[in-house]
Amino acid sequence: MQFDFNEDQVMLRNLVREFLTDQCPTSHVREMLTSDSGFDRDVYRQFVQLGILPFPERYGGGDLGMVEQAIILEEMGRVPYPGPYFPTVILAGSALQSSGDENAMARFLPDVCNGDLVLTLAFMEDDTGWSPNSINAEVTKDGDTVTLNGRKRFVPFAASADVILVVAREPGSTGKNGVSLIAVPKDSPGVSFGQEKMFDVTQRTSTLTFDNVSLPAENIVGTAGEAGRALESTAERAAVGAAAEMLGASRRSLEMATEYAKERKQFGQYIGQFQAVKHMLAEMLEKVENGHSAVYYAAWAQDDNAPDRALAASVAKSTMNQASRKVCGDAVQVMGGIGFTWEHDLHFYFKRSKHLEVHYGDVDHHYARVLDEVLAGRTAGAEV
Amino acid sequence: MDLRYTEQDQAFRQQVRAWLEEHVPRRKLESLDEKKAWHRKLYEAGYLGMGWPSEYGGRDARPMEQAIVGEEMVRAKAPAPVNGLGISIVGPTLIHHGTEEQKQRHIQKILTAEEIWCQLYSEPNAGSDLASLQCRADVDGDEFVINGQKVWTSGAHNSDWGLMLARTDRSAPKHQGISCILVDMSSPGVEVRPLTQLSGSSEFSEVFFTNVRVPADNLVGEMNAGWRIAQTTLSYERGGNTLSRYTRMQESYNRLLEVVRTVKRNGTALIDDPHIRWRLGKVFADMEVLRYASLRILSRLERGERPGPEASIAKLHYSELDKAIQEVFLDILGPYGQQIAGLPDEIALEQDTEEFEPGSWAYSFAWSRAGTIYAGSSEIQKNILGERVLGLPKEVRADRVQAAAQKAESGGNGEN
Repeated sequence: MQFDFNEDQVMLRNLVREFLTDQCPTSHVREMLTSDSGFDRDVYRQFVQLGILPFPERYGGGDLGMVEQAIILEEMGRVPYPGPYFPTVILAGSALQSSGDENAMARFLPDVCNGDLVLTLAFMEDDTGWSPNSINAEVTKDGDTVTLNGRKRFVPFAASADVILVVAREPGSTGKNGVSLIAVPKDSPGVSFGQEKMFDVTQRTSTLTFDNVSLPAENIVGTAGEAGRALESTAERAAVGAAAEMLGASRRSLEMATEYAKERKQFGQYIGQFQAVKHMLAEMLEKVENGHSAVYYAAWAQDDNAPDRALAASVAKSTMNQASRKVCGDAVQVMGGIGFTWEHDLHFYFKRSKHLEVHYGDVDHHYARVLDEVLAGRTAGAEV
Repeated sequence: MDLRYTEQDQAFRQQVRAWLEEHVPRRKLESLDEKKAWHRKLYEAGYLGMGWPSEYGGRDARPMEQAIVGEEMVRAKAPAPVNGLGISIVGPTLIHHGTEEQKQRHIQKILTAEEIWCQLYSEPNAGSDLASLQCRADVDGDEFVINGQKVWTSGAHNSDWGLMLARTDRSAPKHQGISCILVDMSSPGVEVRPLTQLSGSSEFSEVFFTNVRVPADNLVGEMNAGWRIAQTTLSYERGGNTLSRYTRMQESYNRLLEVVRTVKRNGTALIDDPHIRWRLGKVFADMEVLRYASLRILSRLERGERPGPEASIAKLHYSELDKAIQEVFLDILGPYGQQIAGLPDEIALEQDTEEFEPGSWAYSFAWSRAGTIYAGSSEIQKNILGERVLGLPKEVRADRVQAAAQKAESGGNGEN
């Protein structure tokens, strides 16, 4: 039983933190706010080339696990990093890997690993649900050609993505049956982009419309109509990854609020001396530490293929949804007026957390999943 | 990271489980003698004081093995050892701070429950502010003479001995005038009066000391070093046993899952009510986080790290979570949740209480209210986290202001 990071994992964390501190300080985050793509392609390429991707070495990846990805994403949450790492590696990358489609992996992953290819996953639609029942986009197959119709919303970094993995279903199918994953190059005729401006100003998301988009059938990733399982696994990894990013944003917010409470004086004393403030910070610390336990347990459960891995992913995401709301929100409260300014960096974390709360499953979604897993007996007792 | 139990741990678990299946008493233990007999059986099997050094009757067991025994005892509905405080607090205190003579005299008897122990710390005016305690131990020749009152003393009515904090120097700053003393509860001048608690049961007492004479040899550690000793014993109370607390919550939750499948309200099975499902999902998620956090603490203990101020996170977490969970249980169960006896079989909670009395949902609910008060209230834990973990400046407190003024006046070097 070893819950703490091993030496390699500590080195990875230090490597990522050094890189981001150096290449992506908040001044850089602010610069990116006004750019069209929302990120710096060179910084992204250099970062990916650190050799830290989860993909197999034969595709140029570092063959790292979800624990390592959680470490990377927690560090990204501390920046908060603006760019398409999450959609490329965690969303599209997990979907490709889970599909087991060697051709698709050989086609895309080497370029992902050298930083030349940005991917994203288009799942969410008008009803903004995060389950297969929410998929209405349709794909039809006619010989060697597939045709895609439908509309996707809140697709992360879609405008910068070279290839979009689109989730669509066979007409007449329901639930997770009949769901396919189609690789759509961004310049395919019939694809149109509408940029969405979001509260988290470091994000770039788009509404995508697919109007009779016609592609070769080889663009289906995995087996047609059978992407349900790969997407479930992707959703689990996305939940853990998002929770890790929220953990980083929360821990950074706690640090900033704590420092402020040690410096700021009112009524002739430091505000951190008041129990009202001290206890708020102590509660935030408890949330952060428990969030750490939840995130890394869930990441380990993915890597270990533990029987409770789906349960743990939902526990991690629902826990961090609630924790980051409390921690990032209370940090604004502790910092008072200065915390409510655009000038101070605190709002970036507050907004990143808020953004991630409603993606990859909100608390209602994950509490329902937790109970489903419990009732199905997919839990880890101590006897495991 | 590697969160798998080793083969050695799993084999140990099977061994403990098999032993408990064979030996757990089939009927409720009635008398103190029966409880002591069960305690001795646990000790002889090697499941008590496991982590203590073998020279004092322990087994040098790893924290993981201790946690496994704790979990399996809850799962097997095994009665708790009768000398809980002796095992968890007094024994470790003597091992770390006692004289060789004290160790020889008491440790074996703690393990065998020949001596039942209580902890004489809290006073009517010294709860969270424990260091302001006033119970006096005055030196008279080679004896202490003790006068004062203790309260919230768990198990005092059954105890042969007490581990006391008493004031031995009234002129010193409050933390520096306290000593730790072993008191024979059968001494003339000791009076124990049981208190009835909110739960309706009576595990606590108030204890009065009138000119109680105790040999000076019963001093533990240095004179006036009692506060530092108490700090180490309080940290034994916090953190190490959260896994068995989790197991207890999980047992109640599993029972609740059975109940919500059979009980209907407004014509619908409770399990089909979306609001109840949401709460059941949330409670399980929250309990899982406690399990993960417990494993994290356990893995640190396994590496030989002692729980520091971070143990306050665990204490705050499980006690506040228990309170929240018990509220949800009672919400879901309606009036049945508040029925103390005579519940229909399909709703009753078979789980025994913290004190291993026959339980009810209401009784567990009542006890959840104690958890955020004893062993350092939630507010105290938050002070510890704020000041010792986050490094926030100490609050302005009347006693500190007073001590600083006295120091300035006398030019002394009192420290607080």
